[in-house]
Amino acid sequence: MIKAEEIRKIYGDIPAVDGISFAVEPGETYGLLGPNGAGKTTTMRMLSGLSPANSGAITVSGIDVVKDNRAVREIMGVVTQHDGLDGGLTVFQNLFLHGFLAGLSRKTSKNRAHEVLDFFGLRDRSKANVYELSGGMKRRLAIARSMMTSPSVIVMDEPSTGLDPQSRNRVWEELAVLKDAGVTVLLSTHYMEEATILCDRLSIMDHGKILDEGTPDQMIERHAPKEVAQLRVSPVSIRTVRGYLTEQNITFREVGALVSVTGANGDRPNLTGLKDVEGVRTSYRAGNLEDVFLAITGRELRDG
Amino acid sequence: MSLAIPTPGIRRRSVTGLWLRHAVSFVRYWKFIITWVLIEPVIILVAVGFGVGKLIDEIDGAPSYAEFVTPGLIMGNAMFHALFETSWNAYNRIDNDVYETALTTPITITEITMGDILWAVTRSIMTVVGTATVAALFGWLNHWEAIGIIIPAIMVGITFGALGFLFSAVAPHTTFLTLVFTLVASPMFFFSGSFFPISILPDWVEPIAWFMPLTSAVHIARGFALGSLDITHLWAGLYMIALTAVIWPAAIFLLRRRLIK
Repeated sequence: MIKAEEIRKIYGDIPAVDGISFAVEPGETYGLLGPNGAGKTTTMRMLSGLSPANSGAITVSGIDVVKDNRAVREIMGVVTQHDGLDGGLTVFQNLFLHGFLAGLSRKTSKNRAHEVLDFFGLRDRSKANVYELSGGMKRRLAIARSMMTSPSVIVMDEPSTGLDPQSRNRVWEELAVLKDAGVTVLLSTHYMEEATILCDRLSIMDHGKILDEGTPDQMIERHAPKEVAQLRVSPVSIRTVRGYLTEQNITFREVGALVSVTGANGDRPNLTGLKDVEGVRTSYRAGNLEDVFLAITGRELRDG
Repeated sequence: MSLAIPTPGIRRRSVTGLWLRHAVSFVRYWKFIITWVLIEPVIILVAVGFGVGKLIDEIDGAPSYAEFVTPGLIMGNAMFHALFETSWNAYNRIDNDVYETALTTPITITEITMGDILWAVTRSIMTVVGTATVAALFGWLNHWEAIGIIIPAIMVGITFGALGFLFSAVAPHTTFLTLVFTLVASPMFFFSGSFFPISILPDWVEPIAWFMPLTSAVHIARGFALGSLDITHLWAGLYMIALTAVIWPAAIFLLRRRLIK
């Protein structure tokens, strides 16, 4: 459905996207996971014909995006990073006029706007000004807008960034329904949870390059430890804990108030020596995409 | 109107779609905008026509000062509307990603300028027709040819609509847009022969005044208003067209640089 080959985008001397390739199959939800500045937004903009690539080839549904960026915008729904809602219009007018601009007849666009409002549970807000909406509603309206033309492929730049947990869950539920309807979705995110829940496959991006690609499970299998111990350590004991782990040659890292500990070969580390240290609480979790990102780049995903 | 546009054809829906967006937004806020479309220009017209007009007994080429000043004021006001639409309003559309959203549909930068300028023309026509009707009721538009003022109204919408984009496309912040009014609109409003014939200006100012596109528009409008059209009005029209043929492509270039990164 989407095919990107060796695409590159350079701003000044700095390559924002440095020759990446990937393919998204029809009906698939594909994610670009990476920190801010990894080149995700630039990639999405190139794919949706909003920004010309310096080199490389992009096809969407057989349309050559480099040659004909107008045609690709006829078949694709796009959710841009900022909601881009029109403050001079109501919720309904935002949808209706977007559909009309995209080429629907007035009647079709009106009907479709009502359908989409129903689907997103925004019907009772249809006459509201967009600036009266909560952040979550604005985001959902932006996603609703991308569906006005009933596209078979939608590109979403960070669909749930900046939303509270409830709104985020709501967005994820709605995206799951889209997926069931057979819509191909390409999304970018820096939330590993979002990537894990939504994506069939994903690429990990950093500094304009794709570092690895696969299903979330494959990636975790490949790069993350099976289990990670997380220690909450009170300030009085932190030196004791560091000393012990260093002495035992156990790999650890400190993230905020947490000490994450990984055993050799990704197995459960031996922490028996810490049992009697005051103010240490230990819990275990399975390896996740954060660990994958750390393993590949040596950096935390959330550090950006 | 398709001036040296480097795009494969013009998609009509892009232009009508944007125009409809502006019209819908206008209808939502008409109670506020109408004060500027009609009430403000009529206030100025009354003040200058009845007030200043009382002090001036004679003026070159017009039976009364009110009849002289009417076409000038109408064109000046139309200029403010067209400029405002594509400078302030367009800047807000850039800043709030409204154009970015529009660009996710099959629209081009050229078509964005066309849709917005078409709306600037619409605003210009609305204010010109409204104000001219009031002026006619006052007895300050007495020739049947005055109906032709619609022509310079359209030209003002196009020329100043394109000109406004030169500012919004490069503006780093809204304060920058103050320049549209301090450097462009206000000097033109007062030095384009709206209030007095530019022939009475000092010799070195007169050519500068003729260079200003509003001078041409006022000259044409006055030709229609007083029923005194001659060849000079044709030259004035051609000058505005030539100027627009430079400004519009420049506006497209700058807007593309701003929006397509």
